[in-house]
Amino acid sequence: MARSAGLLITLSVVVLLLVALPREAAISMQPPKLEQNTHTEPLAIIVNRSNAVNDLTMVELRKLFLGGRSHWPNGRRVTLVMRAPGEPEYKTILRDVCQMDETGLRNHILHSLFTGEMLVSPKTLDTPAGVRKFVFNVPGAVGYLRLSEVDDTVKIVALDELLPEDGKYKLRVEVAHAN
Amino acid sequence: MPALRKNEGGQKSFRLVAALDRALGATSRHYHHNVFVLALLMFCAVAAVGFWGVRDLQKANSEVRNIYVVSVRGLQQVGELQYDAQETRRATLYALTTDDSNLQVGYADQSRDADRRVTRSIAEYTLHASLPAELVLSEKLNRDWASYLKVRDEVLASILEGGTKEAVSLDLSAGAPSFERVRLDLDEVKRMYDEGASQRLANVVATSRRSEANLIGILCFAFVISSSAIWAIQRSRMLSAIQLARLQMEFVASVSHELRTPLAALSLAADNIADGLVEGKTAVQKYGTAIQKEARQMSELVGQILLFASTEDRTKRYDLQPLQVSEIIDAVLSDSKNLLQGAGFMIALHMDAHLPLVIADRSAVAQCLQNLIGNALKYSGDSRWIGIEAFVAQSEMEVNREVRIAVSDRGIGIDGSELADIFEPFYRSSRVNALQIHGTGLGLSLARRTMEAMGGKISVVSELSIGSTFTIHLPTTEPNGLERARATPQPHSSTRA
Repeated sequence: MARSAGLLITLSVVVLLLVALPREAAISMQPPKLEQNTHTEPLAIIVNRSNAVNDLTMVELRKLFLGGRSHWPNGRRVTLVMRAPGEPEYKTILRDVCQMDETGLRNHILHSLFTGEMLVSPKTLDTPAGVRKFVFNVPGAVGYLRLSEVDDTVKIVALDELLPEDGKYKLRVEVAHAN
Repeated sequence: MPALRKNEGGQKSFRLVAALDRALGATSRHYHHNVFVLALLMFCAVAAVGFWGVRDLQKANSEVRNIYVVSVRGLQQVGELQYDAQETRRATLYALTTDDSNLQVGYADQSRDADRRVTRSIAEYTLHASLPAELVLSEKLNRDWASYLKVRDEVLASILEGGTKEAVSLDLSAGAPSFERVRLDLDEVKRMYDEGASQRLANVVATSRRSEANLIGILCFAFVISSSAIWAIQRSRMLSAIQLARLQMEFVASVSHELRTPLAALSLAADNIADGLVEGKTAVQKYGTAIQKEARQMSELVGQILLFASTEDRTKRYDLQPLQVSEIIDAVLSDSKNLLQGAGFMIALHMDAHLPLVIADRSAVAQCLQNLIGNALKYSGDSRWIGIEAFVAQSEMEVNREVRIAVSDRGIGIDGSELADIFEPFYRSSRVNALQIHGTGLGLSLARRTMEAMGGKISVVSELSIGSTFTIHLPTTEPNGLERARATPQPHSSTRA
């Protein structure tokens, strides 16, 4: 009797596990940041549509943003388009691409301009639309926008062969929770 | 003496009057016809030319309206095009005035908006271009504008990158010349547009001048035509007045002539009696008989003249109604029964069994018939036979049937050359005069007028020394009157009995 009751309990536990496990698995496959209580969105790197570059590595991107590369392969001068310091996008670039703090970046840029390593100082634009329009107007511009703010006037470049829609895309910007 | 009452001259004058009467009548009718045709012609011509003129005016009017609308809109479009082209460059250069990338992007936006408007306008211009010169120009404009935009994009990029110097030098070296080409193209567009407008205006002026001439033409034409119409009407009235006056004069002259002769005989006889030249009972009786004869003749003449005068007035109305021909014939025959029997005449009467009703005036038909029977009596010579026949026949002119009453005699007949004249008023054959058969020469004339006024007619067939047949033609009530009459037997047989 006790054995059959034990068998029944074991069976029910197995059935419960069979039902629950796939769910657990599905949840565990979501990006790990979702488990935290913040919402993120991919941050796309954008260039002018006339730019032939389609793909950059994180290293190349870092070089671009730190002024290590002044011209595109087509000969166009590189113009950096930044958001204002304090914006989430700016923070993401600072943390994930430049890997330095705000003061560090400012000093680095001043240094680069002074030495001529960087030809044009980065442009700071107040709105995502401004960034889009600037990149649209300037053939050598490179900037960044949340994926939802990108339209077909500009071109998204892949980062380490990953597009922003990809789950493993590295650049992510935190979004205010009200959204 | 009665036989000498008419001389040849008098007869000729009567015939002349009658012929003139007919001719003038015909002329007058002809004139009325002419006036009607003239008026119709005038109406048609004025309507046609007027329609043409009005259409021209409408065309000119709508053309002017069109030119105005096109001018205003076209000028507006050219002006907007020029402004937007300038705005495209101006906004680009405004971006030089600031270092703030946000403001620069705003100016770039403005420049691009303006350039989109220009491109749209140029496309519209190309779409509406029809002349070869316009097509060439629009192509050139498109080309120049595209090449300017290329320079503009470079200038804009330089400005946004912060390369102010580069931007300015690029604008001066490439931007300004290519923009100048665009400006010249736009000036050419405006010039060509002005040319087109002035060409259209010239067309309108020509059209309106032509319609003006047309209208003047219409007015002149209408004036001339209406003048001639009025002239024609007046002339025809004058001619009828003259004709009437002449007829009246001739009538009075002939009547007085006709009256004078028996009057002279009467007064001569009266003078002789008064002077006591007539003695003895036989002589007085002879004179009395002569006076009686002349007086009767005069009274007959006066009666006929009055009747003739009444038919001369063509407005006289007849009381037209459906009649039984057989009844009329019976009545006339019974009236002249005594006369005919007294002279020993044999009447051969033949009437078709089912004669349709005729439309006529009873007394007028009776009078005509009486007249014809009287003539047959007078001109029968030695023969004592009169044939009266009534039958249905097909009318010559119309499809309708008609009833004919033929009165024949086997008397002296009428010469073929005189047949046309016997219906003229006062006409009397010289042969008849020689045979001392008295008459006024009004009977047949009266009969013909009466018959024609009632819509019928009278005809004659005659051969000298063999006899004459006078036929009265009377219209029936309706085309199928014959059938109807057959269906309902007429009551005339009973009245004859």
